[in-house]
Amino acid sequence: MAALRGEVSWFCCGSAWGPCGTAGGGACGTCSSGNYQHAWPNTSDACLAITRPDRCGVTGMTRRGCGFRHYTTNLCNGARVGTTIADCGPQTDLFCGERTCCGSACGSNRIIDLTPAAYSAIASLSAGLRPCSVDTV
Amino acid sequence: MNQTLDRRRLLATAALGGVVGATGLGSLAPEAAFAAEPATIEPGAPDPNFAEGRISRISGSMLLVTGSDTVLHSIRITDGTSIWKLHPTTFDKVTVGDGLYARGVRLPDGTLAADSVWLNIVNLHGHIAAVGRNVLHLDHQGRRIVAHVVPDRSAAVYNGTPAVSDLSLLRVGRHVQVLGAWHPDTNEIDIATVYAAA
Repeated sequence: MAALRGEVSWFCCGSAWGPCGTAGGGACGTCSSGNYQHAWPNTSDACLAITRPDRCGVTGMTRRGCGFRHYTTNLCNGARVGTTIADCGPQTDLFCGERTCCGSACGSNRIIDLTPAAYSAIASLSAGLRPCSVDTV
Repeated sequence: MNQTLDRRRLLATAALGGVVGATGLGSLAPEAAFAAEPATIEPGAPDPNFAEGRISRISGSMLLVTGSDTVLHSIRITDGTSIWKLHPTTFDKVTVGDGLYARGVRLPDGTLAADSVWLNIVNLHGHIAAVGRNVLHLDHQGRRIVAHVVPDRSAAVYNGTPAVSDLSLLRVGRHVQVLGAWHPDTNEIDIATVYAAA
């Protein structure tokens, strides 16, 4: 897979406090906020029918299953984290055309959600959205 | 010595000093701080330098935290710890019962010397079910969330445009992502930023 450029956010899963308490273990049943994991929009036909990145013109989003490794780079600072698939998401089509930039480094459309542990390794949780690139090596 | 080890030594020194207040560690811009610490954790694995849970006790500059998985954490607030609770804040705003995510360096005694602590932070998706005066009612995973607009703090990002304080374009039925701070033990949050699609 060539590096895919877009937006990254974060989500909670597994045992959690507050409104996250109902999140559960995700589509793979293994998701935990403290692990280096992520949600990917194309884990199955059923998943893709929900997330629909194609509606936003996003191509190159390869079908990958639970446990597959992706590497996400924060385009604001170059920090990179490796994570495994633990859930289906984000729901790309709900934010079609959305664009996030740091100076001239921009990403359009939501392509990956990281757990708090993974996201906080490359960005502050209080910055809820960042431009990113995602690859497999 | 590489940058990570330098950073670990600085944090440990700050933690052993145990002083909360003026920075002795110095501060880094958030993006620079995260760039300075390369991730070395195996994909899929838990990160020992990260903790989550709720604060059960505060002792000096130490937070005793019960993880949602019941694991207990001791989290040291150091001179260089950045604290977020709806906005950047100070140690005196930390209270028992707050939920948190924390990132730092795990010291040999098991304590986490915190680099960053985010109190009660949530990042929710939902549909707007109703709009009231300075409040949004959200449907989130089948539950109602009451999201309060905080004057001079809450902002809206409409389809990636720069954040604005005007939330009047938010409409019932729209899907939104809300970054905010939970009111512990309630279904209410304060809005930091609401992201809305076009």
